[in-house]
Amino acid sequence: MRVRIGDRIREGRAVDLTGIDVAATAVVRAIDGEDARIQVDCPSPGDTHGHVARLPPETFDRRTALVAAARSLGHTSSTQATLEEARAELADLSPPSVDVEAARRRVAETGAAEARLREQVAELRGRLQARRQTGADTTAVEAQLDEAVSQLSAAETERIAAEQALDRAEEAARTARDRRSRRLQLEDRVANLEREVRRDLASAVWGRFRAALRAVPGDATAGAAPGTYDGDRETAALAVARLAPLDAPVVVDEAGRFGGAEAAASTLDAPVIYIG
Amino acid sequence: MLLVVTYSQAARTTLRNVCRTHESAVVRRLGRAALLEETELGAFLALRLRAKHDDDVQIERTQPFNEFEAVPETVRKAAAAYEDRETASTPYAKFAVGTDYPDPEAMRDADL
Repeated sequence: MRVRIGDRIREGRAVDLTGIDVAATAVVRAIDGEDARIQVDCPSPGDTHGHVARLPPETFDRRTALVAAARSLGHTSSTQATLEEARAELADLSPPSVDVEAARRRVAETGAAEARLREQVAELRGRLQARRQTGADTTAVEAQLDEAVSQLSAAETERIAAEQALDRAEEAARTARDRRSRRLQLEDRVANLEREVRRDLASAVWGRFRAALRAVPGDATAGAAPGTYDGDRETAALAVARLAPLDAPVVVDEAGRFGGAEAAASTLDAPVIYIG
Repeated sequence: MLLVVTYSQAARTTLRNVCRTHESAVVRRLGRAALLEETELGAFLALRLRAKHDDDVQIERTQPFNEFEAVPETVRKAAAAYEDRETASTPYAKFAVGTDYPDPEAMRDADL
């Protein structure tokens, strides 16, 4: 590993930046090749590196970090194949989209139009009746009524057609929902299998994790059963850094726990950039 | 009431959150479905879910079921008689043979 900050160059598995005014976050960025001022020549970071790139970490998900470490150590879960199958089946399952909204709207509109015309017909009938009783001329009202009755009949036909179309759309939607139901089942199955795989992988390295905890500085204990951890996140992160094979350096930004860059690199069994 | 059924993890999560925030509008929570009050608020919540999750949300308007209005007496009597049968292992199709009770096929094809 080779670190260049301005015109200063440091090399080796344990690089000590004590006395150089540089922020840990900037060095971490530089490892990912994203800092202009600092240049770190090192192998590209693997999946576990992201969890322990900076120690102490700002956030640390122990389970996820252990899973990544287990993968980088070559562990697999017997559930992985089943998970892949379920994922593939899920990816192939694209439920058709069914537009029922237009059909619903048409039923509502044709229904309203029909009701309006029905009211109009009733009103015209009333007027016609009244005019007949008083002996007034009914010609105009009769014509209006005829017109309204024929419109009503057309509206009725329209409404019935709209209802039938909605029935058909609902039927198609129901079939599409069967597929959606199946997809939801698969989504849940994939989520369960993912949890199972993660549990397997985390369990696979639990023994190593416990051993690593005893080797790194910090007060933490872990029980024999995977997941039973009692301690702070920094100690857990140090243990994960120790047990995982790391090609890219971790940035140790804490003077308290290690005596120096060499000690940190030796304890963590990883290349280290030490910021004192 | 308004029956809201969800068909994806995301829609189910939103439904859960909506039910938690608007308890007064929720009549019953049923896993990935819920019965909402038939109010404008209930409708608003249901439509919000559909606006967000599209076809992954099904909304139905339910009616109370009145068997005395909607179901022929033969069917009602058959249900009561079958549940009162002497041999628990007798399937209904067999139970109905030689009686006035409707056979399952006939019921399947008869809409309420």
